[in-house]
Amino acid sequence: MFLALIQKQMKILLRSPSEILILLLMPIVLILILSFALGSLMDGNSELDMIEMAVVEHGDEKVDFSSFIKENQNQFQLDAKSLGKMEESLPAGLLMKILTSKEMKEILQVTKIDDAELEKAKNSGEYSVILEIPEGFTLDYLNALIFHKKEPTLNVHFNENEQVTSSVIKDLLDLFQQQYTIHTLLGQNNLLTEDMDLASGEITSTIHSVDSTEKITASVYYTFSMTVMFILYVAGTIASQSFIEKSMNIFDRIVLARIHPIIYLLSILVSTIIIALLQVAILFAFANLVFKISFVQWELYLMLTVMLAIVVGGIAALLTAINYRFNSANASNLFSTTLVAIFAFFGGSYFNISSLSPVFSKVGMMTPNGAALDAYFSISQNGTIQEIVPNMTILFTMAVLLMLLAFVLFPKRGGTV
Amino acid sequence: MIEVVNLTKTFKKASAVDQVNLYVEPGEIVGLLGPNGAGKSTTIAMLSTLIAPTGGEVLFNRKSVVKQPSALRKVLGVVPQEIALYTELTARENLQFFGSIQKMPKQLLKKRIEIVLEQIGLENEPKKLVKHYSGGMKRRLNIGVALLHEPEYLIMDEPTVGIDPQSRNHILETVKKLNEQLNMAIIYTSHYMEEVEFLCNRIYIMDQGRVIASGTKEEIKAILSSENKVLLKLEKLSNQFLNELMKQPEISNIEGKESIVSFSVAKETNFLPMLLAICEKHKVLLKSFQVEEPTLEDVFLHLTGRTLRN
Ligand SMILES: Nc1ncnc2c1ncn2[C@@H]1O[C@H](COP(=O)(O)OP(=O)(O)O)[C@@H](O)[C@H]1O
Ligand SMILES: [Mg+2]
Repeated sequence: MFLALIQKQMKILLRSPSEILILLLMPIVLILILSFALGSLMDGNSELDMIEMAVVEHGDEKVDFSSFIKENQNQFQLDAKSLGKMEESLPAGLLMKILTSKEMKEILQVTKIDDAELEKAKNSGEYSVILEIPEGFTLDYLNALIFHKKEPTLNVHFNENEQVTSSVIKDLLDLFQQQYTIHTLLGQNNLLTEDMDLASGEITSTIHSVDSTEKITASVYYTFSMTVMFILYVAGTIASQSFIEKSMNIFDRIVLARIHPIIYLLSILVSTIIIALLQVAILFAFANLVFKISFVQWELYLMLTVMLAIVVGGIAALLTAINYRFNSANASNLFSTTLVAIFAFFGGSYFNISSLSPVFSKVGMMTPNGAALDAYFSISQNGTIQEIVPNMTILFTMAVLLMLLAFVLFPKRGGTV
Repeated sequence: MIEVVNLTKTFKKASAVDQVNLYVEPGEIVGLLGPNGAGKSTTIAMLSTLIAPTGGEVLFNRKSVVKQPSALRKVLGVVPQEIALYTELTARENLQFFGSIQKMPKQLLKKRIEIVLEQIGLENEPKKLVKHYSGGMKRRLNIGVALLHEPEYLIMDEPTVGIDPQSRNHILETVKKLNEQLNMAIIYTSHYMEEVEFLCNRIYIMDQGRVIASGTKEEIKAILSSENKVLLKLEKLSNQFLNELMKQPEISNIEGKESIVSFSVAKETNFLPMLLAICEKHKVLLKSFQVEEPTLEDVFLHLTGRTLRN
């Protein structure tokens, strides 16, 4: 019976391509980009140049959008306001907005070129980065978002001889964050509601220089930092899925089947732990294959990862409990769209924040991802178990508190409240 | 027997269900008829132990189930108004899941899944996810899930809303069969008068949180036994004509839409001379007229002054 609850959770997740995209593909892509882009920078040479970037747009986003709306106009009614908002938040336009924003002007020179010039641009080495937006990108994007169809692809070509600064990367992360927000608003509410409040597309960005005295290589740094960031999304994803069970009255059926609500909450906890462990296993296997990162002290890695996964399970349980108590998906949405980014910032997933101020590094240790990241670095530098005891203690305390709180908040009398 | 006594539910300050009394005996089909917002779903949610009443009792075989819901939950099948299914799973996977969490033995569940798929007419169910099903198929599966454990009581909340006539007929036939062949007691909620009239032996009519009439079909219609309903077809409706009709003391519930006018009139009244006189006076050409027995719809209109569907 408990097994059935867990199996169901796994099946549903595995059949949601957009969730897989966020939980697996996104971190892999970011680890790759960040490692290659920042590799030379982090390994000593930190001089910043103006980056020349070319953008080729093969299709027309507006055309994609209107054909998407036309194709699906029987499926959902949207008023002019929502349409306008959606149109403003289309991915290619959003990306261009970010790349040409005021903050980016100082480091990034963006040139729009057309298809014919593409091959020449690639060969000439004139540009450090060439961004190719394929035809039908926006259509694919919208279809993937709403109907879980084929995922859109974006081609990025780097000129290997040049360096890309961390702020480009930061903004790529911001972009991801924004798209995630839209995804969450549309996808997790399971439909297009009238008063969609889509992200406005306003970008704030600061330029950070990366501490070049860091001993850890970029690939190691970003493998661990992206892992501890993206593991958090598992909690948000599972909590939103479990709220759909409530909003669709499936939870009523579970209650009528005489499953105690606490058993249900436990199934959320356990499935989150399993999924988080699988995610980390895949990311580490990838890092091992591509960067030859070896996990020598594997027992320590395992211990730490299990502990982190339990914390993530606790977060999922707590978010589920809050969602159920207040009968709204606000808690899990806020977590996925905002809190993860804040945690990631303070936990050092974007860059080594402790180099800015020791206070920040203390704050970072109080986030689950920050505490885990610090411990992963210790282990990777042949640290002993003693060195990670404080981190493990922090994680353990968090796990206990989260689970207690979730247990207290979850409506325990099942249907009869 | 399931019974509710003085059942009341208040949300914040708004009263959704007010002092409702009703009962269901094994093997009968009971209808709960009322317009949207009448409090049917809220009543059913309390009846099926999903929300706690603000006041009153829910009794199963004379024992309260508000605090001890297990005994009732065991014999209850609930078909919610919304489609409560995993859209990312297939029909079989849904049934498998909901069967497993009820701790049904593997072999039994396997058999039951086949039987249920046949009962709901999905035996050749396509191997696709429920999200790709038509509305009618989803509705049927929504019913199927509630049938897995062979409940003694099946509670159905508007099971035919928003589907094509063919699926609707299939569902109505299924309900009738479940009752006749398996002696399943059924509580059937709807705002479609014809469905309730077709299926149910006993009927409760709800409006604004209260039961405003109850009894067998015949008993309820007897409320209007002294009246007949008259339908007129005119060439063209005029307002003066309607106004003049309204002035007549012997007729009531006058409604006029396009070229059709309807009203109620006491059975023994000879209203024809009066009607013809008014037609003559306002130069209205009467194309046909018809005298009908009252329907449940008319009873509702009589009791509330409103129609069921608004
Ligand atoms: N959870 C709730 N909170 C507040 N009001 C509710 C809630 N559920 C139902 N109501 C109100 O109670 C009344 C009865 O609703 P409902 O039982 O769904 O009627 P029906 O099923 O007959 O259409 C409606 O006015 C509805 O707005
Ligand atoms: Mg209802």
